[in-house]
Amino acid sequence: MGGGIVEIELQEIRQFISVVPPFDLLSESELKQIVQRLGIRYLRRGKFLPPDSKSPPSLYFIRQGTVSLYSTDNELIGMLAEGELCTAFCDTDVDAMIHATATEDTLVYGIPCVELFDIISSKPLVKEFLLHEPTRRLKQASTDTKKKLAQNATLMNTPLSALVTGKVVDIDLDSSIQDASVRMTESGVSSLLITEVGKLTGIITDRDIRSRCLAKGLSPATPVKQIMTRDPLKMSSDAMAFDALMMMTKKNIHHLPVIDGQQVRGIITATDLIRQEGKNAVYLTRSIHRAESVDALVEISRMIPDLQWQLFISGGSAEHVGRAITAVSSALTRRLIEMAEKKFGPPPVPFAWVAAGSQARREQSSHSDQDNGLIISDRMRPDDEEWFRLLAEFVCDGLNACGFVYCPGDAMAKNPQWRQTENVWTSYFINWITTPEPMALMLSSIFFDIRVIYGDKSLLQNIQQKIVGITKNNQLFLAHMTSNALQHRTPLGFFRDFVLVDEGEHKDTLDLKHKGIVPIIDLARIYALAEGIDKVNTVERLKAAAGSPSLSHDGADNLLDAYEFINRLRMEHQVEQIRNGENADNYLSPKQLSRLERSHLKDVFKVVQTMQESLAQRYHTGL
Amino acid sequence: MLSRLLSFRQEARRRHLLRHAPAGPLKEYLSVPLIDPKTDIHSVSLISLDFETSGLNSSEDQIVSVGYVTLEDGEIMLSTAQHRLVKIDQALSEQSVVIHRITDDLSAAGEPLEKVVGELLVSLAGKVMLAHNATIETTFLKQACLKLYGESVDFPVIDTMKIARQWFERRNKEIVQGDLRLFNLRKRYGLPMYQAHNALSDAVATAELLQAQIEHMDSSKCLPLKKFLS
Repeated sequence: MGGGIVEIELQEIRQFISVVPPFDLLSESELKQIVQRLGIRYLRRGKFLPPDSKSPPSLYFIRQGTVSLYSTDNELIGMLAEGELCTAFCDTDVDAMIHATATEDTLVYGIPCVELFDIISSKPLVKEFLLHEPTRRLKQASTDTKKKLAQNATLMNTPLSALVTGKVVDIDLDSSIQDASVRMTESGVSSLLITEVGKLTGIITDRDIRSRCLAKGLSPATPVKQIMTRDPLKMSSDAMAFDALMMMTKKNIHHLPVIDGQQVRGIITATDLIRQEGKNAVYLTRSIHRAESVDALVEISRMIPDLQWQLFISGGSAEHVGRAITAVSSALTRRLIEMAEKKFGPPPVPFAWVAAGSQARREQSSHSDQDNGLIISDRMRPDDEEWFRLLAEFVCDGLNACGFVYCPGDAMAKNPQWRQTENVWTSYFINWITTPEPMALMLSSIFFDIRVIYGDKSLLQNIQQKIVGITKNNQLFLAHMTSNALQHRTPLGFFRDFVLVDEGEHKDTLDLKHKGIVPIIDLARIYALAEGIDKVNTVERLKAAAGSPSLSHDGADNLLDAYEFINRLRMEHQVEQIRNGENADNYLSPKQLSRLERSHLKDVFKVVQTMQESLAQRYHTGL
Repeated sequence: MLSRLLSFRQEARRRHLLRHAPAGPLKEYLSVPLIDPKTDIHSVSLISLDFETSGLNSSEDQIVSVGYVTLEDGEIMLSTAQHRLVKIDQALSEQSVVIHRITDDLSAAGEPLEKVVGELLVSLAGKVMLAHNATIETTFLKQACLKLYGESVDFPVIDTMKIARQWFERRNKEIVQGDLRLFNLRKRYGLPMYQAHNALSDAVATAELLQAQIEHMDSSKCLPLKKFLS
């Protein structure tokens, strides 16, 4: 009798744990059983968790207060707040390496892990989740999101029957290679089905004729059966395009016969599938090279948001999408410069058009702004300045018209400050490094990410050679860069919950860019500067810095996962906005997130926060 | 000195009563010695107890529900949590139903007082009772023992309300109305809000309050049980 009533009566406690991921996946009866096994403890600030050494390995719910987790060498590795779980003592491997202290007066609900795992024995995923530390959980999260998105992709929903068009082009297997080639040419196809009494027995492609016949010196009179691929892989017309693409990629084939029972319906090519995916970056870039006017470029640029959308839903990583969009914006920049040279005549002296910021890092999205500059040869005479002014205005205006809007901070070649000779640029950099005042640091964070898009690459290389020696291991400069970078803090208010934008149009949202992505970009830049790494892309920087004194391999892996996760979240948000006909932005309402995503996002922020803290310690900048 | 004498007298009384008590739960309770008042509070086993009653007069009113939970080595063990409805032989006043939300129908499905109190007494053996504003619990429990066994006992008890009052008085702080209510005291320690006037919720809430009160005391000093006993 008593037990029956207890379940109802401790409803506050049950409700509390029922919304803590992954406990939100448990049934009422599992939750009730958990509540009945809980032990409640009050920890005064400074007290340890577990409260005594006799406690069996337990999982703790933080009901109120905060708990800090430390490694054996007393390094802060995480903080847990109300509504969060301390899983550190469930994993016997981790157990010995972590200790926890209440940072505030804290109320915890504990449950011995053995008993907990017994209750949730029918939910292996929940157990899995609990045994994964936040950083490991992240990895899981980013692959799950990818899978989910791949499932939404159009190719997933399109049967091959919808893509196979036109007549079936085939030839009998005793025909000569010559006849087959004629048939292919006449029908304008790159592959041919080989049949025997109407039944599919093989396939030949352009490439087979080239490599298996011409290259081998085989006579064109040879029967096709000698060079055909026998019993080719085929797929039923009701199979999904996505599966076809997967199979073709895996087997490295480009042509796939589609069948309906015994009946051949046609051939599907990898190109057909990619075309189905719509406007790809290569296609856009090609059109840009052929465009003859700024208006034409503006027209082509309208497709950039679609491109981003397509790449995203087909499961492309944030890294991949960023590179694709940057490839397009760089093609636009180059084409605009070519148009300018045609309009204003050849350049009076050599120059380099450099991209800074996200374009330099190859991390643009369809609504990034432009950051750029012009490095001009020291041989420039005063009379030449006008030509460069015209060039800069033409290109910056053109990019703006194409959707890569003006930089709000005016860091553009249009601004005479950023249209200077190699000597002047060199002195800029040296000044920023040696007198790191706030403005200098802001500019450093833009212009230390720099890449030549067009022109004479040696102009930039000369500058870099002069400065690399003074940035590497320059503690003062790095310390200033660090404290500047730490102004972008992750939005966890005392690790409790997200701190949201609190006023204006974006009230109650998370600024994913400035609170999530920029901090990681900043960290990567500092590691690169400290270690003299010349990479500009954030992922490349992190990979290159991994295992250096600045960044451990684990730290790098965690940051890479965090970076990918948050970027995907941002893209997902933007794709949704684009789909709804809104303008893409970086402001995400936490309400849009599932509890699990919220929990992963907090993990991500924790990872970033931890890395920021260790950087602050390294350069003694304090937080 | 006085307290030692008192505890000696209590222990002597227990042995005396034990010799005369009829077989049953009361005898079982009495058969376990009282905890030495010098014992450190952290190692004392406690039963945090709350009664919902049909009124405040123990000679007329009755226990409607009983909630309790054990506190052992500083940990509240929900596995020991009990919440029991008592079948009573009078109609519940509307006034009291509004507070504890136990209707006549619910009460009719409850258990006999003898069973509920009997099991409570067995659980209390060798432990110290804990309650917020413990007068209700001690007087109603004594009354129930008299009624059921013709014999009554003094229960050693810790009262979180009394601890709080001492805290205010020692600091010369004026006690404003409501200050000593469970809800408001919990707020002072940042403890979460629980549903009030549910016997088990209140018992858990009281146990947490005591944990916080103990943890906020000067831990460098010894904290013997006698400092806490009412």
